Amino acid sequence: MAQVQPQAEGTNGTSSNGTRPDQGGFKLKFCTVCASNNNRSMESHLRLAAANYPVISFGTGSLVRLPGPSISQPNVYQFNKTSYDSMYKELEAKDSRLYHANGILNMLGRNRAVKWGPERWQDWQIGVPRLEHSTDRGSEGVEGGVVDVVITCEERCWDAVIDDLLSRGSPLNRPVHVINVDIKDNHEEALVGGRGILDLADSLNKAAAEERAANPAGFDSGNAASRSGFDERVPEIIGEWQERWPNLPAVWTLAWF
Amino acid sequence: MATPALSVEQQIKQLDDARKLVLSDSSHYPLIIQGILPIVATPARVELRRWVADFLAETFASPTIASSQKETMSLIVLETLKNLIENPSEDAAVVKSVVQTAASVYPLVFRWIINNPHDTMTWERMLAIKSRIFRIWDTAAPGVRICCIKFAQRVVLVQTKGPDADPRRGGSLEVSLSMVPPDHKLIPPKSLEAEASGLLDRMLAVFQENISDAVLVDATLNSLSILIRARPHIANKILNVILNFNPLKQANSPMTPKLRVMVKSMEKTTRSLLVHILKRDPQNPLGPRIQQYVERMMRSRNDIFDEASRKRGAPEPTDGLDPAKRQKLGAQVANATPKFLVPPLTPGPHTIAELFTVTGDEALKAFDVAQLSEDLVVKIGITILQRIDADTLKQAVEGVRQRYKSLGASQAELLNPETAPLGVDEDDDDYEPDFSTAETEEQILNKLDIISPDPEKVNAPDMALGHFTLPQPPPLTLLQATEVGQGTVLRVFGVMQTLEEKIKKTKGGLNRLAASAFDRDAWITILTRLATRTLTGLENTDEAVKPEPSDLEQESLANMIRESLRRYIIEDFRKRIDVAIAWLCEEWYNDQVQTKASENAVLHYEKWVLKVMDGMVPYLDASDKNVLIRFVSEIPGLSPGVLERLKELCRNPATVTIALMSLLFLHMQKPPARQMVLGAVEDIWDTYEDARPFTLKLFAKHIPGLGDRGKIEDVKKETNGMEAIAA
Repeated sequence: MAQVQPQAEGTNGTSSNGTRPDQGGFKLKFCTVCASNNNRSMESHLRLAAANYPVISFGTGSLVRLPGPSISQPNVYQFNKTSYDSMYKELEAKDSRLYHANGILNMLGRNRAVKWGPERWQDWQIGVPRLEHSTDRGSEGVEGGVVDVVITCEERCWDAVIDDLLSRGSPLNRPVHVINVDIKDNHEEALVGGRGILDLADSLNKAAAEERAANPAGFDSGNAASRSGFDERVPEIIGEWQERWPNLPAVWTLAWF
Repeated sequence: MATPALSVEQQIKQLDDARKLVLSDSSHYPLIIQGILPIVATPARVELRRWVADFLAETFASPTIASSQKETMSLIVLETLKNLIENPSEDAAVVKSVVQTAASVYPLVFRWIINNPHDTMTWERMLAIKSRIFRIWDTAAPGVRICCIKFAQRVVLVQTKGPDADPRRGGSLEVSLSMVPPDHKLIPPKSLEAEASGLLDRMLAVFQENISDAVLVDATLNSLSILIRARPHIANKILNVILNFNPLKQANSPMTPKLRVMVKSMEKTTRSLLVHILKRDPQNPLGPRIQQYVERMMRSRNDIFDEASRKRGAPEPTDGLDPAKRQKLGAQVANATPKFLVPPLTPGPHTIAELFTVTGDEALKAFDVAQLSEDLVVKIGITILQRIDADTLKQAVEGVRQRYKSLGASQAELLNPETAPLGVDEDDDDYEPDFSTAETEEQILNKLDIISPDPEKVNAPDMALGHFTLPQPPPLTLLQATEVGQGTVLRVFGVMQTLEEKIKKTKGGLNRLAASAFDRDAWITILTRLATRTLTGLENTDEAVKPEPSDLEQESLANMIRESLRRYIIEDFRKRIDVAIAWLCEEWYNDQVQTKASENAVLHYEKWVLKVMDGMVPYLDASDKNVLIRFVSEIPGLSPGVLERLKELCRNPATVTIALMSLLFLHMQKPPARQMVLGAVEDIWDTYEDARPFTLKLFAKHIPGLGDRGKIEDVKKETNGMEAIAA
């Protein structure tokens, strides 16, 4: 850990994430998803956690793949079984110079400060309490093992998430917004994407908090149509967000856990 | 548990602590549920009502609580749920959670009622909740309406017939109408099924509305998958409605950002559901229509959103870095000269990739072919191979060969025994890649990196792999080899049988090349030649020419193919007589070649002709004249054995005619065999009296005196008879 170079903090580390004081109030629960649960989903995991959102993260790939000495020699690990820390140590022992230079060690260094290791979406038992994850960043609020919004970082991850949810047969009867924000898989784009995702999360949470604000009129008082709740405002919020972030094409659907 | 003295915040905090307790130990749920229900019984603060409603929704959705335990608890909470949802001024968030809870509780209560048909109270409470939900379905805020849709979906799932299941066990997804006895008083299956059908129509109505709300459409689409998969009898209805739904109908320009998101979402969600169904059930009769719909949608979507140009290429397979920034390690290969020259490798170890990299272009080197789809790679590969200058290819191959040789020469002494047993002294238990998955190669490379013999030496140019020798596989036993061989043969037959038989034969003339097309005939040619030619000369020829094969030989691959061919022919010999003749000709030809080459060759033709005939003969009938004549006349060699089989056919009155006709044909068309044939006819004459009249008719011309012989014999017989009587 001590070997993480100071320059890395400037690009990847927590210092640029703008940790902000917790405002309290209602918080949507988020889940970020990418292929390997290492770069894009972890960047946004950390960002959302730093902004005090409850957040968990997953990967949809079959294995965790990190770049190796050449494009044809990736380092491959198993989900849920290998910690970021052991990956860090292994790669550092293998070729410290290479993995510092290509940013992999910085990334793993960041990740091991966020949670134990990469988790696979398909193995996630939705609704099973996650109390054992209490030391993860952003774990506060997701003890119940469900989230309100899933944000994927690539269209095929979105596809995998939706296909998996359809397979599970929606036993929990709980609605979940699944949004894809297309981010290229490199450190720079992950940073930009992380900012975009935080902006999206803020916009969504604002709408949700407004809905939760005490509403004495009641839901059935005849003017339901004039009042808009969180769920139906989501497309509008994403539309506005897309105007602000035209380079992060988005897809959304309302699915079920 | 909540005393009035506490502020709402304090109460919520207490409740949160209670929740943490049950999350860690689900056995406390009944207690906590009992404890929190009074909170909402009296007019309570909205925060508390929300907390309780959320907690109930979470509890009945939780996969950690046993179904039976949930069933018991569901009876306790029904009254509370009913009161909450019937309050017209209830907070929307509370109602949303209550409807979610109701959706989870419904199958549980339903199962309870199946087993307890006299609990009218409980069922009435459930009915009140149900009818209230259906009343607010159309008027509530969309956030609540989606939950009503989900509730309706659960009701439809419960109130339709599903696969048989034990009504006392199983998860709530398995509860179905099939568990209800037909004479159940509280829940008569007939009317429930009708209600479900109506509900399904109401759910699907969302697709027929003119203006569609994406939230409702998505919520419906994403809840339908289990109905389609688990209730096949309503799947067609659902799919038909979806296939008639046009998610793009509101896509008229100009679109607001919101409408854009909504239209895209509906299109993508519809497509995802259909692709999901198609993937799970490729045999679905609606498959082709679904396929068509999906393709049409993708085209229209591309037209409307013009995304094709903006869409980025296939993503990198790894959470990686920009290739441009990736540090290149190892030897840098000099730029290729125009006259294709493979630069030799610098001394020192190299990776396999480097060994085969013949380009000097850095960008090209970084390109990962694995990004492309397999058929694209195949297409590109074929095109390149067709166009490539043979000289260039030769030079490149030669260059790599030189590199390989030089590497081999310089590193021969580096062979390291440590690398041979792969990963034996791996001590990091956390890291144990699964070798059964497809990534084996990557993982092996990966592991090899780890067990690099000398960690001290790890520096940039030494990235390369050491020598790696796959351990020798254990030798196959004869039996295993036979099994594997048999498997291969079966596979080739499998491939052949899937191909359509050519209806019309095109005649290639003399210039045709065997097995040049990949049709059934080609495979047959390949098979016959595999059978006849592959093992020739390798067979045991210690003894002289031996018609009887030894046991060992019987096991040989060639004989296995022969046996499979024989079976293939016999399966439908009338149609496959072509195959039989083609194959037997190959056998004969091969036998001839072999006898020329060596005196001791093992011969096969005779044996297999008889085997094929033995297979056919029992099934021949009077109408098979053409088949039999064709067979005996086209096989390249006649033997006494063949004629013996023909003679035996005369034992059966039904086949006398065709046997004799084929003999006549042989007699007329195959002069060298004439004597043999006539001998056979004489035998028939002597053996089978019933065959005489027809023999006479056919062969009177060819066997002088046959007719007279007949008469004489008749007379003889008569006199014999008379003598017998006289005696």
